[in-house]
Amino acid sequence: MNEAFAVATHGLSVRYGRETALHAVDLRVPEGAVYILIGANGAGKSTAMKVLLNLVRPGEGSAEVFGLDTASHGPAVRAQIGYIPEQHEHDYGWMTGAQLMRHVAAHYPAWDSEYAAHLVDTLGVRADKKASTLSKGEARRLQFVLALAHRPPLLLLDEPTDGLDPMARNRTLAQLAEHLADTPTTIVIATHHVHEVESLADHVGVLRGGRLVAQMTRDDVRTTVIRYRAEVPEGWRMPAELRVASARRSAIGREGEWTLIGDRADVTARLTAAGATIRDVAPLSLEDAALAFLAEEEAP
Amino acid sequence: MTDVTLHATPRERDVMREQVRFIALALRRETLVLAVVLALVTIRIVFAIVRHCAASWFDGDPSLAITIASFLFPFAVWRGQKRFGPAFLWTLPVDRGRLALARVFAGWVWLMAALVVVAAWRWGLALVAGLSPIMFTFAGATAMYLFGSAWILGLRHPLRWLIGATGGFLLLGNLVEALGRTPSGEWRIVTWSSALRWAVYGPYGLRTLLSSHGIFHAAENAAATWRTLPGFAQWITTTLSWLGAGLLALWLATLRHRERRRY
Repeated sequence: MNEAFAVATHGLSVRYGRETALHAVDLRVPEGAVYILIGANGAGKSTAMKVLLNLVRPGEGSAEVFGLDTASHGPAVRAQIGYIPEQHEHDYGWMTGAQLMRHVAAHYPAWDSEYAAHLVDTLGVRADKKASTLSKGEARRLQFVLALAHRPPLLLLDEPTDGLDPMARNRTLAQLAEHLADTPTTIVIATHHVHEVESLADHVGVLRGGRLVAQMTRDDVRTTVIRYRAEVPEGWRMPAELRVASARRSAIGREGEWTLIGDRADVTARLTAAGATIRDVAPLSLEDAALAFLAEEEAP
Repeated sequence: MTDVTLHATPRERDVMREQVRFIALALRRETLVLAVVLALVTIRIVFAIVRHCAASWFDGDPSLAITIASFLFPFAVWRGQKRFGPAFLWTLPVDRGRLALARVFAGWVWLMAALVVVAAWRWGLALVAGLSPIMFTFAGATAMYLFGSAWILGLRHPLRWLIGATGGFLLLGNLVEALGRTPSGEWRIVTWSSALRWAVYGPYGLRTLLSSHGIFHAAENAAATWRTLPGFAQWITTTLSWLGAGLLALWLATLRHRERRRY
């Protein structure tokens, strides 16, 4: 049976002048998933979201949201999406939160006014204040209300916790979890603060320099991104076929610690065959695993 | 195939209604300024009427002011709105070109409303003063508004272009003054090019457009006033030509904001 994808991109490439923002990216976000898109600043996370909203035209490739081509069904695609952009400042800073909500509501037939009021209460949004006078955290919470209140099938959240203080962050993420329980939603979260949203995630993708270097379920991360501690003979070298994310050798002695990417049994067998004596094997947290992928290229 | 129940896009009339409401909200400050100015001027005119010296208030031809105000009105309609790049407006579930046109239409509705109010105000005061009011050029205002909207939507930095163009225009104005008029009263600089001459002084030119039929005229001066106006056929041809040019400019400008359909 074919898995249904909320988001699927096919060889997506975007260039800004001579800069490559995305290179042949094949995202696959299953329906109902909470997918964390991880990457350093400038890795292409925001660009990928803008392509899904048809705000940025890809140089090559295509993107689909619930099977709708984003380039040929822009308005229909955007009707399915609740979007929190990276920026906090709203274009209509002269409007109050309440006016802004009414304006946005007019464009979404599925807008749920009661739910919007509930979100305003729960998130502590100051709906009577002008958007331009809101603090970063207040503006972010207002953006949450605008994105969630029409109960979109897909949420695109770009650095959603940016600007929120720890208390507001916990309250907002709890509300997001409640929303997820109440409303069938697929969520794509672009972030480099993985630990903040780790509890929600069940899929992860890692963008590095515009390339999707990893895409897997959370369980796959647990079984394929592993830290090995091993004792090795003098002058030992890591087998070339193994993907090394990070390596640390003790200055004296023959013990070292490596984060390796690959099937655990296969990696263990290859290390053993190469003469290493494995002392300890430990799976990584999602954040450490993401860091491992991000550091992979620079690893010795 | 997805099992998700997809959400509908908004109805066009709902989008249009919201844009009209939005512009009303956005222009509250300008409306207040206009109301205060009209109130102050009304007081001065009433004093002038009492002293029987109000004629000077109704001598001037407002068509140039209306033309300029109509061209600049889109700057207020689009104030603070990012138009290029991933602006909030374009994240809404409406075709981008249609959304831009809906906002232009909403602005036009309020421009016409403002013109009607100002025209009625002037007409009423003129009647009280026993004078003939000046006619208002609604079609000319519409054409200029369309060009102004095209300017805003088509240019990434419309204000800079406007300042540059105004500077160039002033320099040109000095040149125009220096060159003077022909014996028939036409500016020499315009007569330099036959195409330019046709566009300004031709039967369907700018001068004809700006002297277009208004809806108000003074009863006692009607005949004299109408005799100086172009014939209806000429006026309607001119008006439609300029409106068509304005719509074409607007359409070309909105192409810059169309949905990204082609790879």
